Amino acid sequence: MPRMLLKDLAYTRSGDKGDISNVGILAFSKQNFEVLRQQVTPQKVKELYRDLVKGEVEVYDMPNIDALQVVMHNALGGGATRTLRWDETGKSMCLAMLYMEIEAPEGFTLTPPP
Amino acid sequence: MVHKLRLGAGSGWAPSDPQPALELIEKGNIDYLCFDQLAELTMAVLQITKTRDPKRGYAWQHIIDGMKMLLVPAHKKGIKLITNGGGVNCEEAANQVLNIARENNLNDLKIGIVSGDDILDKLDACRHKGWRFRNLDTGEDDIDSIRERIVSAHAYIGADGIIGALGEGAHVVITGRVSDNALFVAPIMHQFGWQYQEPYWNLIGAAVTVGHIIECASWCCGQNSVLWERMPQPWALGYPLTEFYEDGTAIITKAPDTGGLVNEWTIKEQLVYEVHDPRNYLMPDGIADLTTLKLEDLGDDRVRISNMTGKPRPETLKVQIGYSDGYIAENLTIIGAPQALAKAKRMEEVGRERLKQMGLNPDELQMRVDYVGINSLLGPVVPMPDEDSVNEIGLRIAAKAKTAVEAQRIVASFGMMTGTPVGVGFSAPRAPRPVIALWPTLIPRDEVPINFVVKEVS
Repeated sequence: MPRMLLKDLAYTRSGDKGDISNVGILAFSKQNFEVLRQQVTPQKVKELYRDLVKGEVEVYDMPNIDALQVVMHNALGGGATRTLRWDETGKSMCLAMLYMEIEAPEGFTLTPPP
Repeated sequence: MVHKLRLGAGSGWAPSDPQPALELIEKGNIDYLCFDQLAELTMAVLQITKTRDPKRGYAWQHIIDGMKMLLVPAHKKGIKLITNGGGVNCEEAANQVLNIARENNLNDLKIGIVSGDDILDKLDACRHKGWRFRNLDTGEDDIDSIRERIVSAHAYIGADGIIGALGEGAHVVITGRVSDNALFVAPIMHQFGWQYQEPYWNLIGAAVTVGHIIECASWCCGQNSVLWERMPQPWALGYPLTEFYEDGTAIITKAPDTGGLVNEWTIKEQLVYEVHDPRNYLMPDGIADLTTLKLEDLGDDRVRISNMTGKPRPETLKVQIGYSDGYIAENLTIIGAPQALAKAKRMEEVGRERLKQMGLNPDELQMRVDYVGINSLLGPVVPMPDEDSVNEIGLRIAAKAKTAVEAQRIVASFGMMTGTPVGVGFSAPRAPRPVIALWPTLIPRDEVPINFVVKEVS
């Protein structure tokens, strides 16, 4: 199956609460969303972020806006006020998600960015 | 009875420039202008400021400089101002605003002051009752382990106190740690007479949702946006406002004739921002379900939101406890080719060994090394480049320290008097900074009574 990157299907944006980083994934269309909903799993997120994310990962869906919400625990080096990372609030955490590999199902037509 | 209300968002953190807020006052045709000034860390920082000077502890750029620009034009137009910039010293913040009102002969001005969020003096009593303040991030069971180091404890309170003050005719309401969200929920509930009971939970859920979208001000109009390449005039972003209807629908737009954009994507990107379970977006005034709403992009920077829903407010309130947690030492040097990577690795080794010579353990200090330009944002996620392709590297070394003196010694060990390679670009190191760690936890709502007073200028 042809290989795509998540950035071919969606935008991402991240924020922080304490040591929890969240990445919102905004699919370009309902079709793209359905593919992402199948393939963006906590397991794949953990593999992608390696040591950056030390805790559990949850993935929630928001079908009303074709979005996924990825919540990553113990993910910011202790949280904004005590982390040794340069990007204290993890605004750049959304960038890594763009490089997740996604497989195109048979007959899938990619919707490009709006 | 009014059937719609127009609310603007005047800031998203401290310090925010007041100019876009003034544009909302002048051109936004708004009834209320609401200011979020508090990030997670801010309360602890303000608490320390107040410890040093009892007259401080509020968001002074906003309360003094901002209000000098905004108070008169807002009051002349009948626009009410709601701010959490009181921080840990709402009384003194109110005095400052009263002074500004007096100097400008706004003699009929009333200021509401909300209190109850500071729970520092309740911690021990609650602890004795058996409430252990479990850490929501780490699962640590008990605040006893940090009790001696605690500097602040604030509950995220809801709209109650603001509603009370508005009910007594306040033109300006100053609060401490109310949730960002409550700054918007309060005027909506006040104006429409909604109560914390059925049949209002869906409507309050709608107010929570709309508050969430606009509370970060420019962040739903083009700041930090996925549409950055085609953002119109991002140097002149207008701040957002909502036209909120009594039936629980809303339109989000922004100050007219300003830069930025409000469309389906800028609203979506804020809808997912800093949300965890989207079916249970917990706020002190209610729980919003963000998965039922419908967005309709009307064009011309207007997005309509309908079908928002919610559930009853939680019985517990979120609390942030701040405690002293040592210092952070860091240094940045720029290393050029040839052999930039090899030199960076050598310099890292020099720093590590120097620490050991001083009797410090680099691992215990959590010594961290970043190559700025290569991996400082995403560390292990990104591949390392070939040596030949690297023109220069910013070598950033950071570590934890127990005291300011130790932090200063650590910075020196990463710097220009150790045996580093030739031709390294040094600059003045960043001063060591004290760390306030945060302990997120919960407290029963019943333990946090909310109060308010209304003061007049005369």
